[in-house]
Amino acid sequence: MKKSLTIAKWEFLEKARTKAFILSLIITPIIIFVFSYLPGKLAQQEDKSTKAIGVLDSTQIFYDELSTNLSESKFPDGQPRYVMMNLFNSDKGISEIKQDANAKVLKGDLDSYIYIYEDKNEDIKLEYRSKTIGNFRDMDRFKEAFNRVRREIEFKKANIDQSIVDLISKDIDIKSIKVEEKGKESKSDFFEKFISSYIFIILLMISILGTGGMLIRSLVEEKSNRLMEILISSCKPNDLLMGKVIGLSCLSIFQVIIWLLLAIALLGQVALAYVSLENILVMLVYFILGFVFYTSIFVGLGSVVTTEQEAQQLTSYLSLIILLPIVVAMPAMQNPDLLIVKIFSFIPLTTPAIMLLRINSVPVPLWEILITISILIVSIYLTVIFSAKIFRIGILSYGKRPSFKEVLSWIRSS
Amino acid sequence: MLEVINLRKEFTGVLAVDNISFTVKQGSIFGLLGPNGAGKTTTIRTILDIIRPTSGEIRFDGKPISSEFQNKTGYLPEERGLYKKSKVIDIIKYLAELKGLSASNASKHAVEWLKKLEIEQYKEKKLEELSKGNQQKIQFITAVIHDPSILILDEPFTGFDPINQQLIKDLILSLVNSGKIIILSTHQMELAEKLCSDILLINQGKEVCSGNVGDVRKRFGTNSVKIEFNGDGSFLNSLPYVQHLDAYNNYAEVELRNDVEPTKFLQDISTKIQLRHFSVIEPTLNRIFIDVIKKTSA
Repeated sequence: MKKSLTIAKWEFLEKARTKAFILSLIITPIIIFVFSYLPGKLAQQEDKSTKAIGVLDSTQIFYDELSTNLSESKFPDGQPRYVMMNLFNSDKGISEIKQDANAKVLKGDLDSYIYIYEDKNEDIKLEYRSKTIGNFRDMDRFKEAFNRVRREIEFKKANIDQSIVDLISKDIDIKSIKVEEKGKESKSDFFEKFISSYIFIILLMISILGTGGMLIRSLVEEKSNRLMEILISSCKPNDLLMGKVIGLSCLSIFQVIIWLLLAIALLGQVALAYVSLENILVMLVYFILGFVFYTSIFVGLGSVVTTEQEAQQLTSYLSLIILLPIVVAMPAMQNPDLLIVKIFSFIPLTTPAIMLLRINSVPVPLWEILITISILIVSIYLTVIFSAKIFRIGILSYGKRPSFKEVLSWIRSS
Repeated sequence: MLEVINLRKEFTGVLAVDNISFTVKQGSIFGLLGPNGAGKTTTIRTILDIIRPTSGEIRFDGKPISSEFQNKTGYLPEERGLYKKSKVIDIIKYLAELKGLSASNASKHAVEWLKKLEIEQYKEKKLEELSKGNQQKIQFITAVIHDPSILILDEPFTGFDPINQQLIKDLILSLVNSGKIIILSTHQMELAEKLCSDILLINQGKEVCSGNVGDVRKRFGTNSVKIEFNGDGSFLNSLPYVQHLDAYNNYAEVELRNDVEPTKFLQDISTKIQLRHFSVIEPTLNRIFIDVIKKTSA
């Protein structure tokens, strides 16, 4: 045991001093920030130039109201979003006007135009015509404005009291409240939940892949220069395995704590508001167990590898296994109560990720937490035993990579 | 005393070591010789408790080896290499602590050994910044820093220049004089001949010959002597124990009967002729190695 600690200390300090590790401390948060923040920000961002919008109202009912309505839409700095133009011309036929308008859109004189007409059944139809048909924000605004204008006109026609019109036109928004145990209530929205749970899972995966890769590379190095024999002539293979798992787990936890501190320092209270303290503790338990579980798999399989190339192959296979929880997490996020999600909570490979997610979004019964934690602990125990058996022989086999059958025979032997 | 008793190691389908036995006394160097793939490394690994023997036993001072035994062994593997990116002093301390030294003792001894090998100035350098020879010195230090009772050296001289070979040789001899057990595995037969008191030659996992170096050479020799002299050598043929004589005017090679010591022959002739040179003709270990291995491999 004392030797395990010596090994753990060495692994931790030596790996923590590498450039790769120090870089990952800084670069990973940047990547996470870019990945989680930028897409949302980009989607919110819009072109800040006033657009010329034509209206071809063949019914001649809506133009005035619609254009005043849309002209009121302004950018935060007060600049109007749209300049409206009436395209209707009683001298010309509709199809002729449309052709002119199309030409103007293509030339760029108009950004787009709205075509309002009645079909055969005398139903009002609305068309949005532009070179690109992707601007949902503009379309949403036009649709909303048009419907409002139309409703108001209809109400006026029917002589309905203005106060009632106002009442009916007012939209009421929905706000989601998460009910937690002990009657607590907390405000939450999908985006916040997404960020906090997903970031935890991604942190777990990144640190596992990072340190797992480091682990396999160092095993390959120790094997290729026979350092392994010196190590194994100084301590038992199990001590070595334990030392490596402990050292690297500490390294990873250290890494994550630094990241979390960075997040709190940069985002302050906002970061803390996403998760409650209690949840953080439980989440940390899953995080640590998850990490130890994956690391012991890495150690066992990694000891079989003999060259850098094989190491890379193996790491990419393992990454796929580790990505599985992320794939499952996506749908789970939207419906944490689904049976299939619950089932995944009890499969050790996906337990840490799914539980991280569920804990943060729905109240999870205590028995489920206890059972999943027990399952994880038992799985860690079993993988350590299996890995140790493979490790014991694997670390001394050089040259040819052993076949799957051989590895099985190692597990069976003694 | 280290005893290896009826050691046998079988890997799936391959018999790597077949019934090997030997003992090494305190303060002696034991040569473990044999061609590549003979089973030397497997034997070494079982002594180091890296692998378990299929059957047989390793005893140290009369007791079967236990896990504490690992702290008493030092190992210099044939293929060298340590953590390239780490600092020299850190590597030595780490491996010393793994051998059971306390952190403070580890640093103390590390500095002592670096001084002894004249490389103290590289203490804080990364290993990869050192020359190959100096890296080898570091590796040698890691094998001996914890003052092991048993030191296993696999080709200890490769990679050293003649001056450093001398340095390492002197160190090995001083370790032997202080009562260590040293097992030397090498293909440099001349070296084994000069350093080892006993040897074991193995081939294909089996013992081919073993024992005291002098005995082995005698055993594979023909009990012959070579003399150079002045005077009349014709009486040589009449000596009863001379089996074969190849005589010239003042030079002769004489094959003696096996039970006759060369010194007896020397006494008998020294009064009759004026001797200028007398030597026992013994085959070199190199010769024995080649002959025996060829014979057993055939």
